[in-house]
This record gives sequence, C-alpha cells and structure tokens, in this order.
Amino acid sequence: MPNRISTIAKQTFKTVLNNRATLALTLLLGLSLCLATYVGWQNFKTQNNQRLHYKELVRAQWLAKPDKHPHRMAHYGYLAFREKHELSFFDFGIESFAGVSIFLEAHKQNTVNFSEAGFSNGMLRFGEISVAMVLQLLVPLLIFFLGYNSISAERESGTLKILLCQNVSWKQLLWGKTLGIIGVCLSIFTPLMLLTILLWASLSHWQISGDASLRLMVLIFSYAIYFFIVSAVTVLVSAFARSSKSALTTLFACWIFFMVIMPRITQAIGVKIYPSPSKIEFADAIATDIHKQGDSHNPDDPHYAAIKDSLLKTYGVTDVKKLPFNYGGYIMAEGEKITSKIYSNHQKELNKIFEKQNSITKVAGFMNPYLSLKHISMAITASDFDTFVDFQNQAEAYRYQLAQKMNKLQIDKISNIAPGEEEKPLAISKANWAEQPDFNYHFGKLSSVITNELLALSALTCWLLATILLLQYIARWIKTI
Amino acid sequence: MKKSIYNLEFKLFFRNSSSWIGIIVLLITGFSGLYFGKTFIANQQAVIEKAAMLQKKNTLSNIDHFGKDIGLLFYHNKFSLANAPNAWAAFANGQRDINPYLISVTMLGLEGQIYDTDINNPVSLLLGNMDLSFVFIFLFPLVIIAFNYNLLSEQKESGVWSLLRAQTNRSFQVIWRKFLVRVAVIFSVALLLLFVAILYLHLPVDFIFFSITTLIIFYLAFWFAVSFFIISLAKSSNFNASALVAIWVLICIVIPASLNLFLTRKYPMPEALQNVINQREGYHEKWDMAKEVTMKPFFEHYPELKQYPFPQEKTFSWFWYYAMQQMGDDQAMPSRRAIENKLAARQRFTNTLAFFFPTIQAQLGINNMAGSDLNTHLDFQQAVRKYHEQIRLHFYPGIFLNKAVDSTDIKDYKLEKYSPQQTPSVWVNLLSISILTVILIGTTAFNFKRQEQF
Repeated sequence: MPNRISTIAKQTFKTVLNNRATLALTLLLGLSLCLATYVGWQNFKTQNNQRLHYKELVRAQWLAKPDKHPHRMAHYGYLAFREKHELSFFDFGIESFAGVSIFLEAHKQNTVNFSEAGFSNGMLRFGEISVAMVLQLLVPLLIFFLGYNSISAERESGTLKILLCQNVSWKQLLWGKTLGIIGVCLSIFTPLMLLTILLWASLSHWQISGDASLRLMVLIFSYAIYFFIVSAVTVLVSAFARSSKSALTTLFACWIFFMVIMPRITQAIGVKIYPSPSKIEFADAIATDIHKQGDSHNPDDPHYAAIKDSLLKTYGVTDVKKLPFNYGGYIMAEGEKITSKIYSNHQKELNKIFEKQNSITKVAGFMNPYLSLKHISMAITASDFDTFVDFQNQAEAYRYQLAQKMNKLQIDKISNIAPGEEEKPLAISKANWAEQPDFNYHFGKLSSVITNELLALSALTCWLLATILLLQYIARWIKTI
Repeated sequence: MKKSIYNLEFKLFFRNSSSWIGIIVLLITGFSGLYFGKTFIANQQAVIEKAAMLQKKNTLSNIDHFGKDIGLLFYHNKFSLANAPNAWAAFANGQRDINPYLISVTMLGLEGQIYDTDINNPVSLLLGNMDLSFVFIFLFPLVIIAFNYNLLSEQKESGVWSLLRAQTNRSFQVIWRKFLVRVAVIFSVALLLLFVAILYLHLPVDFIFFSITTLIIFYLAFWFAVSFFIISLAKSSNFNASALVAIWVLICIVIPASLNLFLTRKYPMPEALQNVINQREGYHEKWDMAKEVTMKPFFEHYPELKQYPFPQEKTFSWFWYYAMQQMGDDQAMPSRRAIENKLAARQRFTNTLAFFFPTIQAQLGINNMAGSDLNTHLDFQQAVRKYHEQIRLHFYPGIFLNKAVDSTDIKDYKLEKYSPQQTPSVWVNLLSISILTVILIGTTAFNFKRQEQF
C-alpha cells in the first residue's frame, strides 16, 4: 500500500515539474528566496555592526569621562542598543517596528527610540521581503497553484474513475497527491535551508551554540509542518471542488482572507477589547503612585521625614550634615528604589495589556495556521514581542543598577558638607567609572521561548492532526464524479 | 432596446452568487475599516483632550513643588504640542500609529526629547491598521479581479462564445457590456462607501474629498484596465485567475516590500544614533569645561541674551545650565541636518519609484492628503522646534534674572495644536496612475482588434 502512495507521489511530482509555467514559477520563487537570504543577511550585518560600533563608542566615552560628581555621571547615563539575534536575518518580525536605542539615566525611564518604521514614508507598510515572508506567504500560493487541480483535473479528464477502479483507494490518492506536492516544495525548501544553515554558521564564525542550532531545528520543523498542512488543504479542496476553476478560486480566496485580511482584523479587535494607555496617561498614573508613596523633594513628606529621624537617632546626631555618609546620596537611593519599583509594576501591567491584545491573534492561530506559524517563527528567530520586552527589562535593570551604583559612590565617597556657591564642586576619581560594566543584552534560551509560544505551537499541532485525520477518513464524503 | 440589454446583463450579474459575495465582502470590510479607523483616531483625540487637562494640572503641581526656584521649575515643566488628526486621518491612519502625535518637551535640549516615541504595541504596528483606505487599496482590486477574470474565458469554456460569434459580428460588444456592468457595480460600491464615510467620519466635502475620490477612481480604473488587459489575451479562466492574482501579489506585496528593503539598504540611518550621541556629549562635556566654552557660542547664537548679567563667579547657575543644554542641540545640528537630508533622499527615491507602481502611488497620495504620512510628521517636528525655541526665548529672561515664578505667565500656557499650513496636491499621483492605465487600455484595444480579425 505505501508503494502505491509513493507511485502517486512520484507521478504528481513529475507532472508538476513537467509543466513549464510551474517550473518557471518554482525557480522564480527559489531565486527570490536566495535573494531574500542574501539581503536579509546583509541587512543584519550592517545594522548590527552599526549598533556595535555605537555601543563601543558609548563605552569608550563613558570610561573617558574625567573626575566628577557621581550624580553627574548618573545623569550622563548610558546608551543601550538593541542587538539583533543571529537568526533574525531569517525573519525580520517586529525588528523594524521596535526601537533601537534607549537612553538610560537616573530618575527617568525613557522609551526605546529610532525604529526603522519611524523613518519610513509608508513603504514599510507593504511588508519586508525576508526568507520568512517568502516561505509564509508566497510558498503557500505556489502550493495552491501546483495543487489546485491535483484531483479535480483527474476528475475532469475521467482518469479519476479509472484510478479508483484499479483498486487505488481515496486515502492513497489523497496521501500520494499531498506528498507529491510537498516533494516539489521541499526540492526548493531543502537547498534553501542548507544555504541558510551555511550562512548562519559563517555569520557566527563557525561557532554554533547548542541553543541556536536547536532553534534552527525547531524552525525548520515548524515550516515543514506548515507546508504539509497547506499541501493537504490544497489537495482536499481540489477533491471537494466541483471543478478545477472553483478549486482555484476557493484557494485564492482563502489565501487572501487568511493572510491579508484576517491578521489586521484580529489585531484591531485585540486593540479594541484591551485598550492600552497612551504615554501621558501612563506617565500620569506613575506620577500619582509616586506621589502617594512619598515625595523626596518635599522636606515635610512623612515617608522621608521618618527616614531622616531614624537615621539621626541611629547615628546619635542632630543634623544630617553630621552623618558619617552622604545624606543626599542616601535619600536619592531610597527615591530611586521607590520610583523604579512603581515604574516596573506599571510597565509590567502595560506589557500584560499588550500581550492580551496579541492573544487574540494568537488564538486565531487555531483558525489560521499562518498566524500560528508567524508567531512561532518570530519567537524562534528572537524578533518577536517577548524578546523586545525582555530587552526593555534588561535595559531597565541595568539603568537601576547604574543609578544605584552612582548613588552608592556618592554615599561612600562624597563629603556630607556641600561646598559654597563659588567653590569647586565635589568630585571622585574617574577610575571609579570602570566599575560600572558595559551593557550586554542576553538572549533567552529556547526552552523559555517554547513555553511562551505554547499556544501557537499547540495551534499548529492541532492543524497537523486535523489535516492528517481528514486525509485518512474524509474519503467517504468525496464525490467521485 | 439598449436599456433592456443592460437590464438583462445586470440581472445576469446579480444572479451569480459570487457577485454578491464580492459586494458583501467589500461592504463588510469597508464598514469595519471605517469603524476601526474611526476608533483609532477617536482614541488619539481623547488622549489629546486629556493631555490638555494634564498640561494644566501638571503645571500647577510643578509650581507647587518647585515654585521657589524658577530654574528648577522649568527643568521639570513640560510643554505639549499635539498633531491633532483631521477628519481624513480616520479614513487613512497611515503612519499616525508609528509617529508620536503628541510631543511634550521641557526647556532642556530638544534633540534628546523630540524623537521619544509613544508607547506602542509593536505587533499591532507590524500587522497594520484596518482602515477604509486599506480596503480601497488592497481589497477592491481583488474583487475587481474576481468579477472580471472569466469574462471572456467563461463564454468560451461554456461554448456560448462560438454560438455568439456565429450570430453577430459585434461579439466584442457583449464583453464590453458585461465589463461596463462590473465597472458600474464596483464604482457604485466605492461611492457608497465614500458616502457613508462622509456621514460617519464627518468628512468635509472639499478639495481633499474630491482629490481622494478622484485618486481612488483612477486607481480602481487602473485595476479594471489590468483585468481587461489579461482578458484580452484570450487565455483560459485558470490562467487569467492565476495571472491576475500573481500581478496583485507582485504590485501590492512583493515589489513594494523588495523596494523597501532596497531603500533601507541604500539609505541607512546611522545618523540617528550619531545624533543622540552628539547631543548627549555636546551638553554633558560642558560640565567639565570652563564656562567660556559654553557661553561664547551661546551668546553668538542669541546675541540679544547678552544683556542679562551672567554670574561668572558662581559654580552653578541656571543661566549656565540652560546654555549648556543649548550646546547639546547646537552640536547635534550637523547630524540633525544629515537625518533630514537622508529622509528627503528616501522621499525622493520613493516618489520616483511610485511613478511605476500605482499601489504605492495611491497609498502615498491618500496618506499625504489625510495628513498621516511621514512628511506631515516631519512638519510637525519642525513646529515643535519652533514652539520650543519660542518658549525658551520667552522664559529665559525670567530664569536668567532669577525672578519669581509668579511674575511669568507660565500658567497661561496650554496645550497647543499643530495644524498643517499647506494643502497637499495629488496631481502627480493622478498623472502617473492615469498614464499607466491609458497604456494598458491601448494595449488591450490592440489585442482585441487583432482577435476580431481572426
């Protein structure tokens, strides 16, 4: 029995490739894939090099700062740049829509600025050609084109009856056709994947980390499943359609609905159901909370007055100027602790809202395999929302650590007695600056990515199971004539 | 006689369920586009109203907190300028989700503040907005394709065509009539949606309305021309459907997406990162330098401020502080200009390309008219620069003379709304789309002529 399936598959493969138009289309798609790989790689290289260049510059400038008051350094702050993952050349994901640089300073949390989208005059809205886009959008279109008449043409030419009379079962026919079409697909997908692996290996200077190779494996596996689902759907539509023409139009309509219209609508619904605050509302909510907690600028504020009293009591002095450490630095450290905690809580809430907005599109993956694959692909190539949030969190953690480090230097090394209005300002040695390490973003591990994407992964699995079941058991509802 | 034939053609057209499906899809997506587009803009309007309220509240609380030190008050107090959406922004949201429509700045260095983005969900930005312009630019062409692809081939495949050719020598007229019926239906749906948009979005029926309507009509005409051209090749239905969908995918997705990638490669923007660094260094390095280094160029920039006495002997003064802040902006000037030039180069490049691709042309034209494109945002940025300068020069004397806060009119400062000065035009967009349409119609006519001879 498997023999028959493979015979049908081989036959389908040959017929498809014998058609000159499809051969041309397939080659064209293969070519555009190569181009997308190359350009994606170039893009990755230039943008990452740019960011690394400025990262080094920022570090050098930080170290070169002369002796000064540590609080000046806290305000000088740091610039962090979002690095791209080595696999992001494959799928651009939200890369172009997320900011690139963030200014980290004391007291204040800034936005991640300078996304590519901010410099775009609208062209970006049509999309970006990447390997992922070709594989997600165009390969299915090719599969539809290759397979729309796989069964209906047999029916129209009368060979279907003959086939079924010759003891070929519907199940064998469906499986054979599906596998044949996947064969064509894989014959362009496989060389491309090899090329991708080679490129990526050379990008990482032939030092492939275990995590990254695992990521690539999962990626390849997910795309293979996606192609299988699409091929099976194509064959099934062809089997059920009244004619080749109606199969083709149905498939085209599906493509347009699932890949062009639906993503926008689901996301718009998500945004509508879970509205996110604007920046000013967000900032206002934080300011209100901070005000409730205590105001370090107000000398009569109960929270800070209590701190002052307890410090004076502990050290047995009557004036903060007599404390054995820098009182201003101590108060700032306390203020930073309070404000950054409040800020982080609000940021967490905000990210939760965003995740809820995105969840509608993720759940829609159960209706639309394209959406679940899109999420999986972005997550694995670290060009997704979670990675962006992770970057924001790491940058904020660094900012907090930097501010507190400078406060600590002030507490320990700056005199408690402020100089007069016309005297030289207090300063500490520039040797202290090197103690603050450089900012380095660390990508998450694949295991955490998988846990985050469980929903999308299970949606894709459901699709896989559903199509297998359909191929196995649908035969009785198909009409032969 | 003629009238009744058209009646019959309409009846035939509407008897087909796929015709109804096409019309209903357009209407449903059109209405949801209107709804989501309006919600999006209504939200921005609500935020601007709220910002106006917060502006007042925050100014008062800042005066309460920092009112004893005028320099410190203006260190904290923010001034807001809003790029208030016009009615058309709900029709085409354009780049309004990406670019901030509300910029609040203190009197400190502007280059460190003006590029701050709003807080967005990047996934929503990636998937794009659902508005009516999306329906017109992306979905109408598809329905046009669906209505037309089998106009001639269906007749041939069902055998009607040879019968018809045997009976009349004006068989082309039959196709032409069917074609006109579809043109009438599509344009009626388009005009209906535009009419609903006028009522629902409260669009003024003005120059912009006629420009956008004309642009849309020309754009749809282009797609009819494309479909008619493919029909004129007299191939099978399946060929026509595949070819037309392929053309749609090419000019609506693949070509613009490839060109965009080419654009980002050709005009990368490292200047933006350089600008941040220039501004930051330009200001911060001054703390460790003699006051002369700051004040000399500052007085060269603003000679009129020399009249205020500069407290040279003091270690710190707000006069010096605000001058240092200005140095950040002044030293970032070359990189700021470089950004502007790069963006202008990108715009030129896109405009040239758009001449060959009606989809890009229509999108750019509509966003431009709706004031939701990058250029409007850049103009808005310039307005923020002007406003910032005006505020600085207004309050500098009070700060430099260390006056009491009450002596200034800071309480009178409200949120300002930016309104674009010039009305854009769509002549170029119309011209390029119509040229392409005419070329296609010409080729189509030629194809049909050749077939008539056989």
